Amino acid sequence: MRNDMRALIRAFRRGGRPPRRYPEWLTALLFLSPALLSLALFRLYPAVKSAMDSLTVSPEANTGFAGLSNYRYLFGSNGFHQAVTATIKIVAIAVAVQTVSALALAALLNVRSWGTAAWRTLIVVPIAVPLAVSSVVFGIAYRPDGPLNALVVAFGLSKQPFLGSDVQAPLALVVALSWVGVGYWMVFLIAGLQDIPKQLTEAAAVDGAGATRTFFSITLPLLRRPLAFVIVANTVANVLVFAPSQILTQGGPAGSTRVVMYDIYTRAFTLGDTGAASAEIVLLLIVMLALVGAQLRLLGGWGR
Amino acid sequence: MAPTVAAVIAAAAFAAPLYWMLISALRPEKDIFAYLFPLSSQGFLPATWTIANFTDLLDTGFLSTTGNSLLVAAVTTVGGLAIAIPSAFALSVLRFRFRRVLFAIIVLSFSVPFDVVAVPLSGVFRDWNLDNTYTGLILPGLGNGFAIFLLRQFFLAVPLSLQEAARLDGATWWRIMWGIYVPLSRPAIIGAALIIFTNQWQAYLWPLLVAPDPKMQLAPIALANLSNLYEVHMGQIFAGSVILAVIPGAILFATQRFFVRSISATGATG
Repeated sequence: MRNDMRALIRAFRRGGRPPRRYPEWLTALLFLSPALLSLALFRLYPAVKSAMDSLTVSPEANTGFAGLSNYRYLFGSNGFHQAVTATIKIVAIAVAVQTVSALALAALLNVRSWGTAAWRTLIVVPIAVPLAVSSVVFGIAYRPDGPLNALVVAFGLSKQPFLGSDVQAPLALVVALSWVGVGYWMVFLIAGLQDIPKQLTEAAAVDGAGATRTFFSITLPLLRRPLAFVIVANTVANVLVFAPSQILTQGGPAGSTRVVMYDIYTRAFTLGDTGAASAEIVLLLIVMLALVGAQLRLLGGWGR
Repeated sequence: MAPTVAAVIAAAAFAAPLYWMLISALRPEKDIFAYLFPLSSQGFLPATWTIANFTDLLDTGFLSTTGNSLLVAAVTTVGGLAIAIPSAFALSVLRFRFRRVLFAIIVLSFSVPFDVVAVPLSGVFRDWNLDNTYTGLILPGLGNGFAIFLLRQFFLAVPLSLQEAARLDGATWWRIMWGIYVPLSRPAIIGAALIIFTNQWQAYLWPLLVAPDPKMQLAPIALANLSNLYEVHMGQIFAGSVILAVIPGAILFATQRFFVRSISATGATG
């Protein structure tokens, strides 16, 4: 600010035209305005609208204020309990399966040996496949007369119900999610592995530690931060899962894949219960903000 | 030796669905489920090859939904960069009060996956008559927190001496951004473009809600609908799946190193 004033005074003394320079904060505001505008219109406004709707729209009350009745109704509803249970189950399994396989694959493919680059590429390629496509393709693979059951039978076992069973359906969804998900986390963890100084693992080898010992006592502790990030970011990615439930199972069988986003979708569009759907969105939003906050803290780079 | 065997098995497992998609799309429809019980070698390698599934798919209008998807993803990428670049520049180069707070707010709100507010926003867009329009499909995907985050990290690494020299020569911030920062950050800009593109290409819930009209449908929704038809054509579904996977696959393959770098820096998932 003060520098701008000085430049202005100098310019006037010289008798020339003042330099056309906005103060820096105004420039910043102009540069940020498209982002702030889209933030306000497409993120903040619908969130606030949901919060308002959750407190005012109610099938019973026409008073214009419903208080917390939508929240109370939601907490008492069987569908919501099912949704929370199914989501937690699917997210927990998906995050565990994906983190462990991504870590194993990263450790396996971080060493330079025959064909490493090719194997890596084959594992990364599926991340280009949209989740809707993965869902459709796995939906066909899971059919009773499909290729997965053909493999099961070829190994001498009996046919599996897959999407037709409330035990197997959540796992079947996790497979469709993981096929397109693991590659991301593997790439991220390989980058983390490459940040570990070679001297440390070499020193451990000199001291006579085997590969397994080195991995668990040197590599893994040093990989704590990227691993924590993968767990949180992967949770964020999976909590809002919707396409596989809508495409493959419509929430069934027996509500085993009725995830929160699918519950919101049916409340809003099939049942037309805007109040309860809004309340559920508000709760989900609070959870997401907390998760994303943690994710960004772990990412670092907040200084300056 | 053992690690190589494990790596080969893992790679084969990840490639298998892709391979199955491809051979099912390229064989006669009646052969897709033949040869499975008992499993015979023809199940793995078609004896007859055909592109009939692709030509039949074109008759269903799938090509126009793929065109919609491409258009929406391309415009979102360009528009998204036009928003992310100046934002990242302001948040890394310009000095003003509340910069850190503003950065935290912007990145936090754009990093919460947009789907969480898709349901209420679709009602708003209907009120604004933006349903079943390209504008409606594109607008919410423009702001991307990870793109801003990635660009800001690159901009912070540009030496200050460069901009100070330009300031002395009387350059405006606008010129400094386009003349110095953008050319020096090309890898980050490509990475940000890929994050925005894949995000939009993979979107499912929003296009399902905002553009149900068959003329405005995006390809993933059209594909999912193919399996709900009265008469299901498996061959066409596989052909459509291959198309929807090959387009982003080719783009990612061509820009692999930028993409890998952007994942490493942000962990952004599509």
